[in-house]
Amino acid sequence: MSAAKKYKPMDTTELHENTENIAACLKKAENVAPTAAAASSVGRSAFAAQNMNSASTNGERLPNFSKLGGSHGEIRTASTTSNLLNRMGAIHNSKPGDVKKIVIKNFKDKPTLPDNYSKDTYVKLEEAVIAIQLSKPIKYSLEELYQAVVNMCSHKMDAQLYAKLKELTEQHVKRNIKLKELTGGSMDKLILLEKINHWWLSFCQQMIMIRSIFLYMDRTYVLQNSTVHSIWDMGLDLFRIHFAQNSVVQKRTVDGLLTLIEKERQGSTVDRGLLKSLVRMLCDLQIYTSSFEEKFLDATNQLYKAESQRKMQELEVPEYLQHVNKRLAEENERLRHYLDSSTKHPLIYNVEKELLAEHLTSILQKGLDSLLEDNRLSDLTLLYGLLSRVKNGTSELCGNFNGFIKKKGRTIVIDPEKDKSMVQDLLDFKDKMDVIVRTCFEHNEKFTNSLREAFEFFINQRANKPAELIAKYVDMKLRSGNKGTTDEELEKTLDKIMVLFRFIHGKDVFEAFYKKDLAKRLLVGKSASVDSEKSMLSKLKQECGGGFTSKLEGMFKDMELSRDINIAFRGHALSNNRDVHNLDLCVSILTMGYWPTYAPTEVTMPPQFINPQQIFNKFYLEKHSGRKLQWQPTLGNCMLRAQFDAGPKELLVSLFQALVLLLFNDKPVLSYEEILAATLIEDGELRRTLQSLACGRARVITKTPKGREILDGDQFDFNNEFTNKLFRIKINQIQMKETNEEQKATEERVFQDRQYQIDAAIVRIMKMRKTLSHNLLITELFNQLTFPVKPADLKKRIESLIDRDYMERDKDNQNQYNYVA
Amino acid sequence: MKVTIKSWTGVATWRWIANDENCGICRMSFESTCPECALPGDDCPLVWGVCSHCFHMHCIVKWLNLQPLNKQCPMCRQSWKFNVH
Repeated sequence: MSAAKKYKPMDTTELHENTENIAACLKKAENVAPTAAAASSVGRSAFAAQNMNSASTNGERLPNFSKLGGSHGEIRTASTTSNLLNRMGAIHNSKPGDVKKIVIKNFKDKPTLPDNYSKDTYVKLEEAVIAIQLSKPIKYSLEELYQAVVNMCSHKMDAQLYAKLKELTEQHVKRNIKLKELTGGSMDKLILLEKINHWWLSFCQQMIMIRSIFLYMDRTYVLQNSTVHSIWDMGLDLFRIHFAQNSVVQKRTVDGLLTLIEKERQGSTVDRGLLKSLVRMLCDLQIYTSSFEEKFLDATNQLYKAESQRKMQELEVPEYLQHVNKRLAEENERLRHYLDSSTKHPLIYNVEKELLAEHLTSILQKGLDSLLEDNRLSDLTLLYGLLSRVKNGTSELCGNFNGFIKKKGRTIVIDPEKDKSMVQDLLDFKDKMDVIVRTCFEHNEKFTNSLREAFEFFINQRANKPAELIAKYVDMKLRSGNKGTTDEELEKTLDKIMVLFRFIHGKDVFEAFYKKDLAKRLLVGKSASVDSEKSMLSKLKQECGGGFTSKLEGMFKDMELSRDINIAFRGHALSNNRDVHNLDLCVSILTMGYWPTYAPTEVTMPPQFINPQQIFNKFYLEKHSGRKLQWQPTLGNCMLRAQFDAGPKELLVSLFQALVLLLFNDKPVLSYEEILAATLIEDGELRRTLQSLACGRARVITKTPKGREILDGDQFDFNNEFTNKLFRIKINQIQMKETNEEQKATEERVFQDRQYQIDAAIVRIMKMRKTLSHNLLITELFNQLTFPVKPADLKKRIESLIDRDYMERDKDNQNQYNYVA
Repeated sequence: MKVTIKSWTGVATWRWIANDENCGICRMSFESTCPECALPGDDCPLVWGVCSHCFHMHCIVKWLNLQPLNKQCPMCRQSWKFNVH
């Protein structure tokens, strides 16, 4: 009983330890090779564990002893039994009443294995290992083999055992490597790959099995010796050494893999599982990078280099981009399925390089303009996405995008035949490019800035005209009769106009034309909406500051003051009971300097105009002393009542037209010369006036001879037979030639104003520098001035400033100027 | 009478009665007010000296206040006296 108790604790401890080791082995197996082979291995290990549990349950020890070493075991058992019997005999011989303690002594020496035990065990284990390697049945149970290993390690024979195992493994690997069929030249590549794969998988399975048997050694001997590899690593190491040394087999393996991949790239279906397994083999052997990856990347480069050349020839850019996208997706799929993740970056980089970076210039030159022109949003989005992947891709795209805008924009701006639609075309073009930047280029700030820079560049390629046309466009929008547009739409349009305005350098040109058109809208009552006018003005003020808009604001102020003056005048006229009752006079009083400059015009007016004019003059000048009024006949307009045979009509005409028509009250027929002498209207102006009355849609006077041109000697008579379905008829003054002259006059005025800016810039520079040479001064002026200027003009301004003593020529150096304080 | 006038919308520009266009002190146009004022007209009138030189009232008053002793016309340096006729 005591003897039995002594043995039990040790046995329990050992059993527990063994169970732990097996569990660790299972985890290890799962981690190392998660393949079908591993699953089989796990199953077998589980079976082994079950055997252990079964043994524990039975509690039978006798069979173990008998299997370990028959004769020695028997001897030990007999010895133990003999001792027990001897002690029983002793008890039996003692005297009655004299009780003694039973004492059991430990072995004096550790039990030793039989001399032939190690040899027999070596043979047994060797047979088992070879059987595993040859996939043959094993004569002994796995648990028995495991225990044998434990015993060998416990008795200091682990080093020899390890060396023996290594030797057996190496012999096995060598034998397989040198198989004739693997080195034979006639074998099909696919079959070769399958054989190598089969061999590799078998080898892994075998190593897992062997490692399970020798697990105790892995946990003790291997861990205690840093120079010794684990059994698994030792197996891989041997496999790699011999596989790598056999360049024929290795080369064929790699070539086979590359061939399969190439077939897949060409559209064939290949065995991805096979590829995956072999690639993993190369990874496990740690020769993936050196033996496979390098060649794979080289093959990839060559394939895509050739393909990209061909596809760039065959395909249009959108199709080429889709092809590139497909190839990138395929390569990512390949990475996901069977390539090692370490290959991802160099592989994708190489594909991008060969398909995109090498052809970056060609792609952009060949396809970008048409994509932008045709508004191919999805293709542009793809283009941006792909080019973002390569170095300098977006920079090049941005540069070419900028170039396209400049080229396209220039065609809009430069061609005089497109002037009528220039501004609308520019707005549409800007909208289109904005959509592309927002939708396709991901709001990239570089592209936004590039778009802005390009617009600013091309819109100033043509001096003055874009500014003028933008002013006219605004005039068209703000004029009454602009139907079909809501206030909100108008506001949006004005905002877009402001974007174009911001790009223009010659903003003074815009201001001059805008002012002239604004004057017309205000004086003729053509403005569509006071709110819109004020809104536009506040936008301009916000953009350019109060100085830019102060005069424009003054114009509005003048109109308001004029309304007040006219209300007062009407009251004054009524109270004085003058003969102005017959004529409704309304006068706009303009402040000189705010409004466009109007050339003084002297015409002869009949008493119907002179009398009320004098009354108003007197009224106004009494109210505002120190002032004088300059009337502007070219700007006035009248409502006339005319009697025709068919009935009376009201005619809305310009003042000049009124002066002409009133002459027919005295004389029914008048010659051109007579009208000219009676009115003193300037010749060109008079011809246009008569043309509008006699040759327009409403012909209230008749010309003899007929024709569209007013010539000397023409005769005019009042057209009593005039008819029109409308009662109130507006007769427009002919404007075309006048517009051209006005345009030139406005440009001339802008040019004059710019002289002051040049003078100011010169004085500013000289004040800072004190002394400066002529060339440096010219250079600095070109830098500071935003509008185009000629060196000759600069020279004139310099001479003018010298005359006015702002600066002087240096006495010693004629090429140098000094600032005069 | 075949043609009679029913209404007339006339346009006239006003300016100061002066023998020059710009103020000699601030160099702005007479109709453009002195630098401090916003609106031209009676709020920023012109004044004449007996020497017949004309300035913005605000400009000449400021100028005269800067001279401690002899108050001179800035154009002709004669003693300044307002022309009040």
